[in-house]
Amino acid sequence: MSTKNENVKQLGIYLLTVFAFMLLFVLCIKPLKVSNMAFYIIYMVFSFSPAIASLIARAVTKEGFRDMKLHLKLSGNFKWYLLAFGLPLICFSAKFLMPIIISGHSDWLSGFTAQNVLSNIFTLAAMSAVMSIGLIGEELGWRGYMDRKMEPLFGTVGTCIVSGIVWGLWHLPMDMAGCDGVITDAFIMCGGRMIQLTLYGVFLMWLTKKTDSVFPAVIGHYMFNESQGALANLLYQGNIPENADLGAITTVFEYVPMILVAAVFMIMMFHDKGRITKTA
Amino acid sequence: MTGLIYKEWKQNRLFVLSMILCGLTPIIVLLLLSGGIPASAHDKLRISGLLAGFLAAGAMQMLVIRGDDRKLWGYWITASPDGYKGFLRVKYEIVFAMIVLFMFTLQLTDIGYQAFADDNGKAEAVQLSGMAFPLCFVQILLRAIDIPFVYRFGSKRGSYIKLSCLVLAALAFSALSVIFKEHFEPVFKMGRKLFSPENSSLVLSVGSVVCLGLYYLSYRITCKLYLKGVEQYEH
Repeated sequence: MSTKNENVKQLGIYLLTVFAFMLLFVLCIKPLKVSNMAFYIIYMVFSFSPAIASLIARAVTKEGFRDMKLHLKLSGNFKWYLLAFGLPLICFSAKFLMPIIISGHSDWLSGFTAQNVLSNIFTLAAMSAVMSIGLIGEELGWRGYMDRKMEPLFGTVGTCIVSGIVWGLWHLPMDMAGCDGVITDAFIMCGGRMIQLTLYGVFLMWLTKKTDSVFPAVIGHYMFNESQGALANLLYQGNIPENADLGAITTVFEYVPMILVAAVFMIMMFHDKGRITKTA
Repeated sequence: MTGLIYKEWKQNRLFVLSMILCGLTPIIVLLLLSGGIPASAHDKLRISGLLAGFLAAGAMQMLVIRGDDRKLWGYWITASPDGYKGFLRVKYEIVFAMIVLFMFTLQLTDIGYQAFADDNGKAEAVQLSGMAFPLCFVQILLRAIDIPFVYRFGSKRGSYIKLSCLVLAALAFSALSVIFKEHFEPVFKMGRKLFSPENSSLVLSVGSVVCLGLYYLSYRITCKLYLKGVEQYEH
């Protein structure tokens, strides 16, 4: 079997398994509403489904379990770990703070004292080192397996787009659970998230390729989730009026930082690819 | 490096996996001892379980560190392609992974218990994760102190020397603080100000990151001391 066909088979099995888990979760949402415990167990299994799917795909296709990118590869790559920590924080700071500053409402940011900001940054740094490990359940599948199987088939840009769509779509059951079954709300939420994840996925893919390890992507993913919460928490401490509306500028800054990140890392990915081809 | 990880896994997998059991201790203690105890005391039982799990996890981590303090192994690993630095790096990574696994299991169990308590109408169950987080960094700090002593002096002698050093340091500090009471007063005052409730979150967060830094520093120190230690191992 040619490498391309092998990739198609491996990717097919992987995606089928991931979506089977997703379907199971969707079907379970309603019956599980009666028990928090049952919901929690199914939710945990679902959160690890990308990693489980990658293991199943490796076993079924007899690909083996080598090169799962599970080495930390810290030496020489520590700067990329720091980037994985810092970039989401910068991006989301721009997303949350720039519209407020530009529209002249800096007085709303009274929660952002030096002590609060430092405390949050250090807490996030400490937590990303010891508590981000749960996200290996996703990253082992998305970056550690799916992206690598997609790239020879769809090219780098295609992989970023398709994997972003798959990644976003995979979150749909969680959105459905969050929206109390109101499907339209869940789809709107999922759509917005899909755009964000497609753009952010470029950075995570670049990180994984650069370091040859999934752990920087795990930290990057953790920071993507947690830095939004930390910034929102600081914003709530400020004196923002209840009916505050900054208009279109909020929507612009919702996507502009991520678009910039995606563009920069896409260029870097092509640059690295060109360098590898030249060396070969 | 994969070979060293494989060696650690084969040699210490039971200790590594025991971290899951340690993380489950709050629930195990609750299941074993809750009979006859009022529901209001269940949280106290879980907290005792957390502390027991924390101590057991620390002991298991020490067992992973011990066992390689042998002359022959020291010479052999120094001559291998990864060298003793590679060996020590894997040891530090394994111990760190054990702490993370302990914390992760504890967190999973805790959220699971919250869900269970919610189902049974006990909405005010204490969240252990908040207590486990600082404990996890205490564990990192303790291992950062333990490992250099073990590899410099061997596990047995290292434990005695470490204990002696800590006791001496505590005694010296107590003696100095009594003798130079007036000089220490501003230091205590600053300490009280630093650990005041309004500063506690900053101190805790900075302290956690400092622990991580010290863990790395401990690795560098162990690398510097390892060969001297190998020369003095008994076997």
